[in-house]
Amino acid sequence: MSAHGCEFHPDLYYDAEFQIWVRPESDGTASVGMTDISQTIAGKVLHVRVRKPGNLRPKGKPVATVETGKWAGPVPNPFDCTIEAGNEAVLDDPSLLNRDPYRHWIARVKPRAPIAAACADLLTGEAARQGFEERCRRDDIRCKRLAD
Amino acid sequence: MSMSGPRYLEHDEKTVVIVMTSGPSTPNRCATPFYLGALLASMDADVTIFFTMEGVRLVTRGVPETLAAMAGGKPIIEFMREAKQAGVKFHACRPALPGYDLDVDDLVPEVDELSSGGALADMILSCDKVLFF
Repeated sequence: MSAHGCEFHPDLYYDAEFQIWVRPESDGTASVGMTDISQTIAGKVLHVRVRKPGNLRPKGKPVATVETGKWAGPVPNPFDCTIEAGNEAVLDDPSLLNRDPYRHWIARVKPRAPIAAACADLLTGEAARQGFEERCRRDDIRCKRLAD
Repeated sequence: MSMSGPRYLEHDEKTVVIVMTSGPSTPNRCATPFYLGALLASMDADVTIFFTMEGVRLVTRGVPETLAAMAGGKPIIEFMREAKQAGVKFHACRPALPGYDLDVDDLVPEVDELSSGGALADMILSCDKVLFF
């Protein structure tokens, strides 16, 4: 599914600005990654650094830092959590985030609350799709991918 | 050339003040402070950019919207907004405004506070790191 050429997955959970996606995992953890919107705005990702596993991260504090040639910023954290792992493949080759941002998670985290409660404030499904489209329209975002 | 640096981050929270004295007369000095500020903020630092001397011209309406650090580059206002989104605070030096015939109403809305020289002195004496651009 796409909006303005930006790929969207209705089964994932999103923050209000659609900077990140969250996917609940079967073991109670959650994967966190960049959306197509974020990787397009950022440009080719040169560095990704994840907070050290074991770190407690309150809501709003970044789980990772992303650098491109023209942009630097946080991967925001949508809920209180503990960092479980960084994606070694992404740390080795950050441009994977530009090629397929939904296939490559950045950090895996353990929410302090049960996963369903942790995701309750995030957007998903049709409500998320409408918000995603609105963000693309409002900021005239047309997604671009890095070719393999 | 290989890129170096740790893959995992573990910093205590620090406070950083970036004193921005550069302005439109040196556009190639006007993007990096915001990039660095955004990066520091995303690494848990509490970052304030304090605009003084010619820096106050950089936060004047109409200037960062049209200025780029390099020909055809991203407007400085976008670097500013990205820094703000990462959590960086902007202070403008009130005593510097008259020297550039500026008034409070001339400043871009991204400026959070108008501050005195004494406020900058307090920040410098109490923060962990000070950077000058």
